[in-house]
Amino acid sequence: MSQLTYGQVDRDILRAMEAPGRRYYIVFLLNFLVLAWGAFAWRYQIVHGMGVSGLMHPVMWGVYITNFVFWVGIAHSGTLISAILYLFRVRWRASVYRTAEAVTVFALFTAALFPLIHLGRPWFFYWLLPYRQVGGLWVNFRSPLVWDVFAVMTYMIISMLFFFTGLVPDVAVVRNRTSGLRHRLYAFLAQGWQGTDRQWRHYKAAYIFLAALATPLVISVHSVVSWDFAQSIVPGWHSTIFAPYFVAGAIHSGLAMVLTLLIPLRRIFRLDAYLTQSHLEHLAKLIILTGLIVGYAYIVETYIAWYSNNVPEWQRFLYQVTGEYAIPFWIMILFNSLIPLLFFVKRIRTSTPWLFAIAILINIGMWCERFVIIVTGLAHEYDPYSWGLYFPTWVDISITLGSFAWFFFWFLLFAKFLPVVSIVEVKEELPPPMKAITVEG
Amino acid sequence: MEVNRRDFLKIMGIGGATAAMVGCSAQPPETLIPYVVPPEEIIPGEATWYTTVCRECPAGCGMLVKTMEGRAIKVEGNPDHPVNRGRLCARGQASVQGLYNPDRIKRPMWKGTDGTWHPIAWEEGEKLLAAQLAGLKGQGERIACVTPLLTGSLDQLIETWLKTLGGGRRLRYEAVSHESLQQANRATFGSANIPYHDLEQAELILAFGADFLETWLSPVEHARQFASMRTYREGRMGRFAYIGPRLSLTAANADEWISIRPGTESFVALGMIQATIAEGLTISLPANEEAALRELVASFSPREVAEHAGISVDKIRALAHAFARAHPSVAIADGKTSNGTETCVAVNLLNYVVGNIGRTIHFGPAAAIGQASTYAEMRQLLQAMEAGEISLLLLAGVNPVFTLPEGDRFRKALERIPFVVSFASFPDETVNAAHLVLPDQTFLEGWGDYEPREGVRGLQQPAMRPLYDTRAIGDVLISVAKRIGLQKELPWDNFYGYLRDQWKDVHRKLRSSEEFETFWAGMLQHGGLFQIVPSPPVRLNVEGLPRRFPPPAFVEKTDGLILIPYASPVFYDGRTANRPWLQELPDALTQVVWDSWLEIHPADAKALGVSPGEVLRLESSFGRVDMPAHVSDGVRPGTVAASIGQGHTAYGRYAEGRGANPIPLLSPEPEATSGGFPWIATRVKITRTGRRHPLVSTMGSDRPHDREIMQTIRLATLQSGRHPEKHPHLLQIYPEHPHPKHRWGMAIDLNACIGCGACVTACYAENNIPVVGKEQVGKGREMSWIRIQRVNEGTPDHPEHRFLPMLCQHCDNAPCEPVCPVYATYHNPEGLNVQVYNRCVGTRYCSNNCPYKVRRFNFFTAEWPEPLHLQLNPDVTVRSMGVMEKCTFCVQRIQAGKLSAKAEGRPVRDGEIVPACAQTCPTRAIIFGDLKDSDSEVARLSKNPRRYHVLEHLNTQPAITYLKKITRGPVEG
Repeated sequence: MSQLTYGQVDRDILRAMEAPGRRYYIVFLLNFLVLAWGAFAWRYQIVHGMGVSGLMHPVMWGVYITNFVFWVGIAHSGTLISAILYLFRVRWRASVYRTAEAVTVFALFTAALFPLIHLGRPWFFYWLLPYRQVGGLWVNFRSPLVWDVFAVMTYMIISMLFFFTGLVPDVAVVRNRTSGLRHRLYAFLAQGWQGTDRQWRHYKAAYIFLAALATPLVISVHSVVSWDFAQSIVPGWHSTIFAPYFVAGAIHSGLAMVLTLLIPLRRIFRLDAYLTQSHLEHLAKLIILTGLIVGYAYIVETYIAWYSNNVPEWQRFLYQVTGEYAIPFWIMILFNSLIPLLFFVKRIRTSTPWLFAIAILINIGMWCERFVIIVTGLAHEYDPYSWGLYFPTWVDISITLGSFAWFFFWFLLFAKFLPVVSIVEVKEELPPPMKAITVEG
Repeated sequence: MEVNRRDFLKIMGIGGATAAMVGCSAQPPETLIPYVVPPEEIIPGEATWYTTVCRECPAGCGMLVKTMEGRAIKVEGNPDHPVNRGRLCARGQASVQGLYNPDRIKRPMWKGTDGTWHPIAWEEGEKLLAAQLAGLKGQGERIACVTPLLTGSLDQLIETWLKTLGGGRRLRYEAVSHESLQQANRATFGSANIPYHDLEQAELILAFGADFLETWLSPVEHARQFASMRTYREGRMGRFAYIGPRLSLTAANADEWISIRPGTESFVALGMIQATIAEGLTISLPANEEAALRELVASFSPREVAEHAGISVDKIRALAHAFARAHPSVAIADGKTSNGTETCVAVNLLNYVVGNIGRTIHFGPAAAIGQASTYAEMRQLLQAMEAGEISLLLLAGVNPVFTLPEGDRFRKALERIPFVVSFASFPDETVNAAHLVLPDQTFLEGWGDYEPREGVRGLQQPAMRPLYDTRAIGDVLISVAKRIGLQKELPWDNFYGYLRDQWKDVHRKLRSSEEFETFWAGMLQHGGLFQIVPSPPVRLNVEGLPRRFPPPAFVEKTDGLILIPYASPVFYDGRTANRPWLQELPDALTQVVWDSWLEIHPADAKALGVSPGEVLRLESSFGRVDMPAHVSDGVRPGTVAASIGQGHTAYGRYAEGRGANPIPLLSPEPEATSGGFPWIATRVKITRTGRRHPLVSTMGSDRPHDREIMQTIRLATLQSGRHPEKHPHLLQIYPEHPHPKHRWGMAIDLNACIGCGACVTACYAENNIPVVGKEQVGKGREMSWIRIQRVNEGTPDHPEHRFLPMLCQHCDNAPCEPVCPVYATYHNPEGLNVQVYNRCVGTRYCSNNCPYKVRRFNFFTAEWPEPLHLQLNPDVTVRSMGVMEKCTFCVQRIQAGKLSAKAEGRPVRDGEIVPACAQTCPTRAIIFGDLKDSDSEVARLSKNPRRYHVLEHLNTQPAITYLKKITRGPVEG
C-alpha cells in the first residue's frame, strides 16, 4: 500500500463507481427477478394467510425468525469492524470497514422486514411501535418482542448515522468529480464538506463519539434478540448463556459475510492493493476466535442440558442431535466450530479460495444454527402430544431467497454509488505526499 | 333531541342487529315482518330452548335445542331425560351439522328416464307416489317400507298406513342390532327383550366385546353409570375388565384388557361358570337348574377354555372368583361372531349363577332396539326384491346399499323394482338407486316421539322451521293417503294431528285430572313422559338352553387374518360421516382424523412387511377393499380391525371418497339361530399394494416421556391415605393476581374421563370453531380449543391408554401473557386468561411460550359452506385470519350467568355457569365453577387428595386442577 499515492487511491476506488458494464446489469436484473419473486410470495402470504407457509402448531416460528436472527447477526460485523476496531486503533480496519458497515446497514434493512413478514396481520405492524394507541394503550414493555423493536431500531439508526458520517469526506471527493443530478446527491451526502481543519476536528469527534455509541450496541442488540428466546420457557430456548452465545454467533456470521462479499469485490473492482491478503487473514484470525467461542457455547449448552437434570431440556437435546432436524444440527457443529479451525493453518487462511469457501460454509452453518435453535425447541416442547414437525414451503423458501436478493439489491447499488473502500482512511495510512526536494549543491 | 355518540351507536346497533336478524331468521317468507311486532317467543339476542329427542342412534337421548332468532345453533342434553340426564355424545352434539349440512336434499326430486335428477314440486311428487299406490290397489303386499328403528307415533302411522293399503312388508332396519342377545335372552329366560343394564350398581363389570361406552345400546347412559360405579367413595371403587380381541375405547377404559381369540367369549364365560360352581360360589339354585348347568359346562374346564381362548387358566379362575364375590357384578356381551347367540347365552348364565339377574340386569323396561328387524328379515326382503315380489319400495333414513354386506346386490335388486321412493335427507348411496326422492325433515325440524325403552316416551318437537322445501314423512303419508281416497282411514290433517291424538291416548291412560292441553304443554316443556316401569322377575328356562356351544366359524379357514369390523364411535354405522365436526374429531385411540384404517398387530405387520400408512389390499371371497395400515398393539395377533362408517361413495362432500368401507368383505350369511349379522366371521387375505396413504393424526407422541402430564395413583395407595403429594418449591417475584369477585376454575377428574370426545365437539359447536380438513390437520393446524390427549403408559404387550382433556389452563402466571407485545392476551380480574382478537397482530409468541400448547392460530380465513354458517353462535366472535385464539372458559356463558344473577339480585350460584365441554361430558369429568366460593364443587374438588396441576414445576399456577386417575391393575381373585 505504501507505494500508492493519493491520486492513485482516488482513481482506483472511484473506478468502481464508473458506469456499470453489461455484466453488472445482468447480475442486477437476475437479482431483481429473485427479489420480485420473493415479493410475490409475500403478497401471496398476505392475501391467503400464514397457512401458505410451513408454520404450524407447535412450530409457530420458522425460517422467518431464523432469517431475522440471521440478518441481525450479519449486521454485527460492520459495527465490530468499524467501531470497535476503530476504538482500538487497529490499522488494517481502514480498507474493510466501509463494506462491513454497508453490510450492517443492508442486513438490518433485511432483518427489519422479517418481523413484518411473520406477523399474522402485518397490516397492523404499527401496533408494535411504542406510542400511545387508541384507548391509551401502550405496547407491553414486558414482551421481548417490544425490546426487539427498540434494539433493532436503535441499532439501525446508529449504524446508518455512523455509515453516513464516515462517508462524508469520501462523498465530498466524489462530489467534486461529478455533475448534474449525481452531483446534487453527493453534495447532499457530503453535507458541505470542504475538508477544513475545523470540519476535520468536528468530524473526528463525531466519529469517535458514534463509534463509542455503537460499540455497546454490538453486545446489546443481539443480546436482546437472544432474549426473544431466552425469556421464554421453551426447552432449548430458556438459557442464560443465550446473550453471549448469540453475540459471538452474530459476529462469527458477520465476519463470514464480510469475507464472502469482500473477496469478490476485491476481484471485480481490482482492489488487491487496498484489500490485501493480510486484511483477509486478519478477518480469518478473528473468525478463529469467534468460532471457538461459538463452539464453546455449543458445549456449554449441552452440558447445561445434561447437568440441569431437566427432563424436557435433555430430551430436546437428544432430539436435536438425533431427530428429524439432526442434519442442520450437525451442519451447524461442523461448519461453525470445526471447519473454521482450519484457519489455524496459515496456508489455508492465506488462500483466497479456501477463505471464500469456508466463509460460505460459515454462513450456511450460522443459518442452520438459528434454524436448529428455533425449530427444534418448538417441535419438541413440554407436551409430547403436541410435538410436531415443521418444513418450509415454497413460500418460506421464496421469501428467504427474496431476502437475500433484497440484501444484494442494496449492496449492488452501494457498489456503484458509494466508495466501497474508505478513500480518506486509506490515505491516512499512506505517507503524505511531499513536494520533491532537490538538494542543490 | 340531543343524541350523543354513545346513544347513536346504541340505536344504530339495535337497528342494524334487528335488520340482520330478520334477514337471517329461518322464518318463512309469509311471516317475514319487521320486529315491530316481534314473533312470540323470539327475543333478539336471547335464546329459546326447545326439548326434543336425539335421533342419531337408537339410544334416544333427550335433547334441548338452543335457538336464536329462529335458528337452532346448539344442542344439549335434556337434564330431565332419564336416559342421558343432560349429557350428549359427540354424535348428538354434531346433529346440528345434519340440519345445516350443505349437501342436504333441498327439494323433491324425480329421476328422469335419462337417469338425472329433476327437481319437482311437492304436489307433483305426492301425485307420482299416489299414482303408484293407486296402481297397486289390492296388491298391498307388493309394497315394502324400510325405516330405521322407529317407535311411537310415526311407527304406528306407518303400520296403519301400510295396513290400510293392504299390508306391505315393514322393516325397521338397524345395521348395528342385537339379534344374538335377543335370541339368547329368549333361550335362557324366555324373553326376547333387550334388558336394562344397571351398570351403576355393579362392583365389577365384565364386558365380553360389548363397547358400551361407544356404540353398544345406550352409550351416554352407560358412560354415566360407568363413571358413577368408578367413583372412589369410602375406600371403594368398581372394577372393570374387558374381554375381547380388540382394544376398543371401552377396553382402554378397563382395569384390564384380556385379549382372547375372537369367538371364544362363550368358552371363557362357561369356564368361569364351571369354576364358580366347582367352588360353590353360586347363589343357591334350584336343583334342576344346577344339574342342568353342571351338565352344560361339564366340558368347559378352565384349563381347556384357557387354551381355546389363548389366556391363562389362572386368569379365568381369578375372573370367576372376582365375578362371583363382587356384590353385585354384571357381565355384558355383544355376540358379533357366528356363535354370538351362544356367547350371549353363556354370559346370561354367568350372570344368572351369581345372582345378577334382577340386580344389575332387569328384564324390563325393555329397550326399543329389540324391536328392530333382524338381519335375516332384511335379507328376505332382498330376496323378495330379486324375485320381483316388490313393486313399490319406500326407504326412509336407511342406507342399506352402504351398510349391508351385499350392498351391491341390494343396489342391483333396487333396479328391479318398478318404483323406489326415498325419504332421505342426504344424497347417500341408496338414494342414487331411487326413482323419487321426497326429502324428509331432520329431527330438529319435525314432530315425533321416541321411546328408547319402556316408560321413557321422549317427545320430539321442531326447534325451527324447515330449512328447505322438505316435508315430514308422516305428513307425506297422510297426504298421499288422502289423494287415493283413504281419508276415512287416515283422517288426520297432518302428522302433528296424528301425534297429538296418540298422546291423547297416553293422556287418557294416565287417568290424570289434568287437561290435555296442560299435559301436552308440560310434555313439550319436559321433553316427554318418563315413567318407572316395573321389572318382572325372570327364571332360567332350562329347556330352552342350547345343547352345545360351537366354536366360532370363519369362512375360508385359510391363513388369512380374522377381520374385526366395529361400529365407529363417531360415525356409528356411517350415518354421521357427513358431519365435518365428527370427521375432524380425532379417533380416541389412534387420534386419526378424516379417514379410516386397518388396525394390524406389529407382529402381523412385520410378517407381511407392512409399514404404517401403507395401503393394504383386503380380500375375501365376497369382496376386495383397500385400506391404509395402522400398526397397533390394540388388536390381537392374527386379527385385524377396521371401523365401519367411512368409505362412502356418495353422501356429500365431507363423507364421499373418504376412507374405506369394510362391510363388502364380510360374509353375508346370517347367524343361524338368531338371524343376526355375524360381524366377526370373515378371514381376509392381506396383500401389500405398495401405495402409501399417510394417516393424519393430531398426536405427536403418545408416550409419557417422563413429563408427568398424565398422573395416576394406585387404588391401594389412595386407600392407605398415605400418598405424599409432590409439590415443587416455587418462588414468585410478582404479587398474586387479586381476583376481587370471582376466580373461575375447573376440576377435571381423570378417573372419570373416558376419552369419548363429546366435549371437543360441544366446544366446536359453542365457540364457532372452524374445521380445517385433513391436509391442514396434518400440518397441526386443527383449531380445537380442547383436545383429548391419549397417552400410552403401558408396554407393547399391555398397552395402557389414558385420556386427558387438555385446554387453556387459564394460568395465574401465564407464560403467554408477558410475551405478547400488544397486550392481546392478559389476565382479567376473574382469573380468565383473555384473548382479545381485535388486538392480536399474530406474532404467535404466546403459542410458542404456552407449555400446554392450547393456543390455536388462524392460518387461513375460516369457511362455513352455506348453510353451515347458520349454526354460528351469535354470542361468540368468528375469528379472522392471522389472529390467535383459545379456550375462553365459554366467557359468553359466564357473562350470561353473571347477568342473570345480577338481574335477579343474587350472587352467582354454583353450577349455574357451565361451559359447553362440562355441560355435555357424559361422565361429569369436567366441573367448572368459582374457586373464590369455597363451597363450590370446583373449590372442593381442587382440594381433593388426588389433585395436581399439569407441569406444576413451571409455576404457571393453572386454574385447572386435574384429579389423578386411579389405577388398580388386573383383576385378581
